Amino acid sequence: MFKKPIQRYSGKICEVEVGTGEKTMKLGGEAVLPFYSFDGDTGNKPKIGMEISDVYPEGWIDALKELYKDVSDDPVKWAQFVEEKYNPDFICLKLVSADPNGMDASPEDCAKKVKAVVEAIKTPLIVAGTGNHEKDGKLFEKVAQATEGHNILLMSAVEDNYKTVAAAGVLAYNNKVAAESSVDINLAKQINILINQLGIDNQNIVANIGCAAGGYGYEYVISTLDRVKLAALTQNDKTLQVPIISPISFETWHVKESIEPEENSPQWGNQEDRGISMEIAAATGILTSGSDAIILRHPKSVEVVRSFVNELLG
Amino acid sequence: MEKFLIIGERIHCISPTIKKAIEERDTAPIFKRAKEQLDAGAAYLDVNIGPASKDGEEIMPWIVKAIQNEFDNVPLALDTTNTKAIEAGLKVYNRGNGKPIINSADAGDRIGNIDLAAEYDAMCIALCAKEGITKDNDERISYCTELLEKGMELGMEPTDLLFDPLILVIKGMQEKQKEVLEGIRLISEMGLKTCCGLSNVSNGAPKEVRPIIDATFMAMAIQSGLTSAIVNPCDKRLRETIKTCDVINGAVLYADSYLQL
Repeated sequence: MFKKPIQRYSGKICEVEVGTGEKTMKLGGEAVLPFYSFDGDTGNKPKIGMEISDVYPEGWIDALKELYKDVSDDPVKWAQFVEEKYNPDFICLKLVSADPNGMDASPEDCAKKVKAVVEAIKTPLIVAGTGNHEKDGKLFEKVAQATEGHNILLMSAVEDNYKTVAAAGVLAYNNKVAAESSVDINLAKQINILINQLGIDNQNIVANIGCAAGGYGYEYVISTLDRVKLAALTQNDKTLQVPIISPISFETWHVKESIEPEENSPQWGNQEDRGISMEIAAATGILTSGSDAIILRHPKSVEVVRSFVNELLG
Repeated sequence: MEKFLIIGERIHCISPTIKKAIEERDTAPIFKRAKEQLDAGAAYLDVNIGPASKDGEEIMPWIVKAIQNEFDNVPLALDTTNTKAIEAGLKVYNRGNGKPIINSADAGDRIGNIDLAAEYDAMCIALCAKEGITKDNDERISYCTELLEKGMELGMEPTDLLFDPLILVIKGMQEKQKEVLEGIRLISEMGLKTCCGLSNVSNGAPKEVRPIIDATFMAMAIQSGLTSAIVNPCDKRLRETIKTCDVINGAVLYADSYLQL
């Protein structure tokens, strides 16, 4: 009789909890490749979060600005609206105002905003910085302090600022930290090692190994995800056994295919539909390559990707 | 490719400290060496209690239980010429973190240890030797085949036998070195796993030279297909060589801090 072969792996991804109370989410925990439920334990279902901004989202497409027009001037209202209306697994608050090349809001002011948001919702919160490593170091230190006890995820620590971000975030104020590398498998491992060497174990670390929209280095992201997961599972590489988070919307809503107005390129069709398609396409590929959590912007994308995950995991 | 398997050699009754600790049933010096080796990256620990012809059946279970209790059921290689002592050790061994390794069987008087391995679902180091020093690779491979057939007849997985080509000392047997490496290649090309007691290669050489010979021979042996060895993991040069071989072979993903792991 035919006996279905089962692939066994020596490693397992660590489980990381973000948030508090009933809505606490658990990331990771899988002992097999993504969605390979026929091989073993797929761990926690991949989590889908929604992006909001701490200031009015000037750069977003009109359809989204319209959707959030009553709430987008206030991150607390916005977060509550998203929580109630779309019930995402988590909310990602991007501190756009802190950007030193923009409004350059102070870490203290930003921390106040984050505190107000986290106290107003039950959904787990992820806070994203500016991408300016020096500013993010100071920013996350204050944010971590203001949110102590809420178990938020700080996104992200990089090689330049991990000592401040991870030490303040995790060791001093008991939040979680995302370790960021930019689609570089060796650096993805190295940043985890560096954070481990501060005395922070894998239960407090999520990895952001980098992300891209289709056509913008996407294949490289996919192969990096594959290699990270394979090293974690088949080689039992403990330094890579952390859940992965992918900020899809940060990438896909910048590219021309998503934002080009219809009047400029009518042959490309409806702008909003294109943006949603770009977001969903990037998300599904990245999930099937091993990401444990993704950040999306459009509610329609959330709906489609959620049903994609549910269909695959039954 | 699998990561190279390091079996730590430092719990050995040739060391006066360990000999005394065993005699006095004092776990402290044994635990100290176990910890040092595990911290240095040993995956298995070899436990050599000597011939122990008198009280081996009491010593082996005692030491196996003690070390496994203290170190989360670390997998062990049970090393003595006293077969009854090995069997007594196997009876109390916890295989949660890996099968026990019997150290060792050969194609001569100690071939019975293969039966023991089969009976207890253990791995077994199989010395490609019968009496004295194996002459050449023809002889080496014939012993290897003999041991393999014996194991398979008893229902063992071929990969549960770790074939030891028998490392020879450079000082005195320099002309044999290339042949030993070739022997490792011949065995590994059959898809079999290999092991060796490395330190014999540098026996008799000055203390400051030995780590250099050991590390270099190790790199050459790994390139020839060697999959495990009984070594001193606390030897920094050797440890770094093995880690680097793992990286070059793609068994471990590179990161700038890989030597610190």
